[in-house]
Amino acid sequence: MTVWTPQDDGFADLSSHDTFVNGAPHNTFARLRREDPLSWTDWDGGEGFWNVVRHADITELNRNYELMSSARGIRMEDQTYEEYLARRTFQETDPPEHMKTRVKVGKAFSRPVVAGFEDQIRELCHPILDAALEAGTFDATKMIARQLPMMMLGRIIGTPVEDLPWLVEKGDALIANTDPDFTDHVLDKMETDEYRMMPFNSPAGAELFDYAKRLIEEKNRKGDTDGVLHMILQPDKDGNVMPEQEFRNFFCLLVAAGNDTTRYSIAAGIQAMAHQQELLGQMQEGGDIWATAPDEIIRWATPALYFRRTATRDHEMHGKLIKEGDKVLYWWSSANRDEQVFDDPNRVDLFRSPNRHMSFGQGGPHVCLGMHLARLEVRVLFEELAKRVKMVEPAGDHKFLRSNFVGGIKELPVTMQAK
Amino acid sequence: MKVTWVLPGGEEVVADVQTGVNLMEAAQANNIAGIQGECGGSLSCATCHVQVDGDWLSKTGEKGDFEEAMLDMADGEVTDASRLSCQIEASDDLDGIRLIVPV
Repeated sequence: MTVWTPQDDGFADLSSHDTFVNGAPHNTFARLRREDPLSWTDWDGGEGFWNVVRHADITELNRNYELMSSARGIRMEDQTYEEYLARRTFQETDPPEHMKTRVKVGKAFSRPVVAGFEDQIRELCHPILDAALEAGTFDATKMIARQLPMMMLGRIIGTPVEDLPWLVEKGDALIANTDPDFTDHVLDKMETDEYRMMPFNSPAGAELFDYAKRLIEEKNRKGDTDGVLHMILQPDKDGNVMPEQEFRNFFCLLVAAGNDTTRYSIAAGIQAMAHQQELLGQMQEGGDIWATAPDEIIRWATPALYFRRTATRDHEMHGKLIKEGDKVLYWWSSANRDEQVFDDPNRVDLFRSPNRHMSFGQGGPHVCLGMHLARLEVRVLFEELAKRVKMVEPAGDHKFLRSNFVGGIKELPVTMQAK
Repeated sequence: MKVTWVLPGGEEVVADVQTGVNLMEAAQANNIAGIQGECGGSLSCATCHVQVDGDWLSKTGEKGDFEEAMLDMADGEVTDASRLSCQIEASDDLDGIRLIVPV
């Protein structure tokens, strides 16, 4: 269904994945920001949760990681301590433990290192756009948005091109585990809990674990030092090497989280171009726009709709009591449309500056590790696209993922006319 | 207290900063280009890198281990005078401090 402006009645059920098949329920978020900034959602799939929807409130809580812990899960689903131990990545740790992983993996995704990928990204864009423009009318998620992050993932981890579709399929099965188009093991419709010890409750996690192990063994055998995996596995200055379990969890995270988020940012940017016809011309004028456009596209997309925290002690807010152990959802998707922070938040303004969006979880220790790469991929892709086309328009209904966690356009029919 | 940021082009921005505020937040409040501070001062991003000018460095205290490690990922030239500005708190002792925003 094509949804450019939100269609929800202002009272959408935020616990329901089905709510999000029409896009994020922005009328509901707007009402909550106005009338009920700390609301409670009952949920029949587990314990209910609090919703934090204002930019200022998320900013205040996000920095306070001692009060709002990541170490008891980051999605709304409840998990036992043993599940947590088996499945966790460094997303599910708090400082200072979080920092220990961060310093090991951070360099590979730092801006200076990532900046070196620009030429490669541009090269990858050319055949992707060639194929799309030849088709003329096509699914832009499949032919453009899905392609670039997948190809870059291959470059980053140094894996053969022919393995990439399989890897991305497994990553999708992990992260889009509530959408039947992406997995046979739909999270809220599973009858058994046989996969509960695996990442994202999905058998795809085990397959990715095995792949990572084989990949590293193969690379070690060949003396191949290409890609960031090699960098991450180097001993630190005290001679410590990342343990195998931690590495494999990190690999899963890289394939799942690092891939589809950029995909859905690119898709949302193309969706915006198709609906706000002035954007293409602005891009084609070039210049300063490229310093601001990527962040605006990523604000508009908000691929990670929320992350969850758990209160470590009682905390009062807006006259209500969050109790120790309560789950608290930070709705980035709502913060990114907060009228108090963004003028005309429901329009894409490629010149928006400053742009204090929260798509990367800015303002807290879990700020996206891959944010510099994401911005670079988005910038280069749209620079190249703007050079090549003279018209982008919708060619049918676009469809959103069935997920209240990942906000993405999974099918985006468009027509593009090459220059 | 007063803080001066020296921008890559040589332009200087001077601002009054309340004691107790960290200098990354002060930079954000004054829209200093080149200082993002994307992790909110939790030592997870290295996007608030500055070089502390001259003798001011010794007054800013010691770098922690994590800060040292994160500086390895920072933009611009990292020198002995490099700090993450989120780790420096405004105080009367630092009144007049000059921070160079790396190119």
